Amino acid sequence: MTKKIVYADEDRRIEVESPLMRESLINETLRAGTESALARGVMPGLDIISLGGHSIIDRGAKALMPLVDVIVAARAKHKILIGAGGGARVRHTLHIGLSLGLPVGALANLVSNVDAQNATLLTAVLAKHRGVLVAKEEFLKIPLLLETGMIPIMSAMPPYHFWEPAVGDRKVPLHAHDLGMFVIAEVTGARSLIYVKDEDGLFTDDPKTNPAATHIPRISARAVLDRELPDLPLERVVLKALVNARQCRSLRIINGLVPDQLRRALAGDEVGTLITAED
Amino acid sequence: MTTPKRHEIETPLSRATLNAARPLDVSGYPPTRRLLPELCVMKIGGQSIMDRGGEAVLPLVAEIAACAKLYPLLIGAGGGTRARHIYHLALDLELPVGVLAALGAATAEQNARMLALLLAEHGGVYDETPNFFNLPALLRSGCFPIKPGMPPFSYWAVPGASGRIPDYRTDAGVYLMAEALGARRMIYVKDEAGLYDDDPKKNPRAKLIPRISARELLDARFADLVIEPVVLQNMLVAEHVREVQIINGLERGLLARALAGEHVGTIISA
Repeated sequence: MTKKIVYADEDRRIEVESPLMRESLINETLRAGTESALARGVMPGLDIISLGGHSIIDRGAKALMPLVDVIVAARAKHKILIGAGGGARVRHTLHIGLSLGLPVGALANLVSNVDAQNATLLTAVLAKHRGVLVAKEEFLKIPLLLETGMIPIMSAMPPYHFWEPAVGDRKVPLHAHDLGMFVIAEVTGARSLIYVKDEDGLFTDDPKTNPAATHIPRISARAVLDRELPDLPLERVVLKALVNARQCRSLRIINGLVPDQLRRALAGDEVGTLITAED
Repeated sequence: MTTPKRHEIETPLSRATLNAARPLDVSGYPPTRRLLPELCVMKIGGQSIMDRGGEAVLPLVAEIAACAKLYPLLIGAGGGTRARHIYHLALDLELPVGVLAALGAATAEQNARMLALLLAEHGGVYDETPNFFNLPALLRSGCFPIKPGMPPFSYWAVPGASGRIPDYRTDAGVYLMAEALGARRMIYVKDEAGLYDDDPKKNPRAKLIPRISARELLDARFADLVIEPVVLQNMLVAEHVREVQIINGLERGLLARALAGEHVGTIISA
């Protein structure tokens, strides 16, 4: 009953000549061979500022406007790209979505609207300073915006939507706004990546409950993962990605409630916590 | 100076720490629903099927048309040799993984469009990648969606440990669609009888493995696999699609039998 298509020993695929022709792209040796020390990010020189949703934007004008002033003052010297995180409405969306039994891909799809709202909010505030909202599919137009003196602003959430990888019992998407801006820093080959949160970076323990907790000015991604800190102001997937990163080999977490930290971080000062790919 | 207060929306998650080493306790929430529990998802291989042109694709199209009358189908299309060509050019130009992922999507889109054109008279409808919200309308009307297999990660593809070829390509993209929708079946239509312990196109002594678990397969660390390893990693923690079958799309009748639940290729289970 089953009839096999006649194709003897020779391969009947119609190929385009290339060194990857007929390869499965799964073979580890072949994959490793695609590494190149010369590979570079596509828009080097950016300073990427990731504004936390829960930590900064949800606090409203009192937290946000001093940071806007720093960004506007810094734009003459820096090629700034801003990412907006989600926050309280993300958590509410997750709560409602989980109580409805929605799968992780649906949650990731729904949550992306919140980052998009915050990016719109931020762009409306920065429009008079030439802030411009960049849609995900307009990523390659960012150089044009920078060249004309604009401040591009994007929603930080990566566009994984229903394709959010499986998470098992964790149930909530692992790849959220922190990872989104990390990958942008990696693919662009950014000069710096600054996460603006509401604490001075990392501490050995929670400083609110343990007065003996001390500030960590610099630490490797692996060391942070090994420490299993009770809370982490950054998505864990970012630390794992940082270990494998080719271009973005460090990131900085600063306290946006002390706006001068952003100015200093842009200037290259040692503020907050620097997390490095190297041990 | 007082810290500006956060404008919260009170829920059990409003002050939860989402990034702690220990996972957030979500045991109080109900189990995850299957959104389209009857859906059968299949991936038509790019290199394995589409690149063979009419002699492989047209008989398969006839089979899909017949099966679409019996089952709610979602079809994902692979990339293939043109994806490899553009990957090679991008690698040669020293571009990073995110650019390769963005470029690779276009080839799977072409293949999905070709399939949609061939299946148009039978109700096959091309459906853009990120949109899931047309699916019920298409399925209710007797049509079936045909989507590009590449996940929408694009520039947001995370670099892996080695090389610059994206980890998540079309096998993973179609799998994650099936998992998100809680599909009943996930069938990979390729050009081999199933999974072998080596590439059967290069090693004639490679042995067919009719059934294996995802964990065993990952642990075996074969040099080559018929399916992207990230699919196996996702299967280990997936909630719904705990089994996939790889079948030979060059052999007639296997697709209908796989859709009916028969074991006709290699079954990989979680």
